[in-house]
Amino acid sequence: MRFIFYALALLAGAALSFEGAIYAELGKSIGQIETSFYNFFMGSIIMGLLWIFFGKGKLSYALEAPKWSLLGGVLGVVYLTSIIVSVPFVGVGITMVAVIIGQLVMSMVIEHFGWLGSRRTKVNKEKVFAVLSMIIALVLIN
Amino acid sequence: MGLFMILFTLLGGITLSAQSSINGTLSRRTGTIETTFLTFLTGTMFLVIFVLFFGSGDVLALFEAPKWQLSAAFLGTMYLLLTVMAVPKIGVIAANIAGIAGQLIIGVIIDHFGWFNSLIIELDMKRVFALLFMVLSLYFIYKGNVRSNEILSKEDEQSDTGSKAI
Repeated sequence: MRFIFYALALLAGAALSFEGAIYAELGKSIGQIETSFYNFFMGSIIMGLLWIFFGKGKLSYALEAPKWSLLGGVLGVVYLTSIIVSVPFVGVGITMVAVIIGQLVMSMVIEHFGWLGSRRTKVNKEKVFAVLSMIIALVLIN
Repeated sequence: MGLFMILFTLLGGITLSAQSSINGTLSRRTGTIETTFLTFLTGTMFLVIFVLFFGSGDVLALFEAPKWQLSAAFLGTMYLLLTVMAVPKIGVIAANIAGIAGQLIIGVIIDHFGWFNSLIIELDMKRVFALLFMVLSLYFIYKGNVRSNEILSKEDEQSDTGSKAI
């Protein structure tokens, strides 16, 4: 039974690669920033609907929250735009490897120092091995 | 150009991990759906400005674009919902690692067949080895995170479900 949930998680990741490949194509016809705009605009509508019908949290807390915790949106813009720009030049595979490496290495740094409200978890030797393997992978795939 | 693109994309990954931590913090008191909604909303606001000042494309061409290209907007939501479903059953670490594996596998498959009119890059031995090293790396990350979590396990359990919104 558990394997179904592993399959769902795999599928979730697959959705991101499909998204990158399709948006790269859309970006060629309407422009890259415009494609990012479309994604965030549609995403706002979809999530707005989900929020209206299924939201159980407290949206108004955002007004009291520290301002830095509202920067997620603009960071997501950098991520998506970098994918849309990069895929037509180097393909989906390298783009995803690069984005994943940036993500995993930075997460380790953020958690090591406990930045941005994360729980502090020290870098250990397994994580160092992980980064080394990733760098080898990036050199091989390029 | 290729190398520059890779560095640019690394930066994209860096911003995504920062987003993940920031949203994780915000969602503890605001809620997952609410945080994701805010992420898209503020992202849209920034993009309206970017499109107006730096956009060289044509937003109105959206209405002529093929619908399958527009349907990609639902894939981001699908990612979120599937992750939210998987996390309570298999845990945050396993769900993220399985997600990354899916991303890599489909990434090289799309390249191999050139789906969606993308570049065709064959799945050769070098790429297979690269994937093996990525898998090895995910294994080490899993191990490393499990070990860190054992140290933290006495503290309250906090899940970062859906902290990443694209």
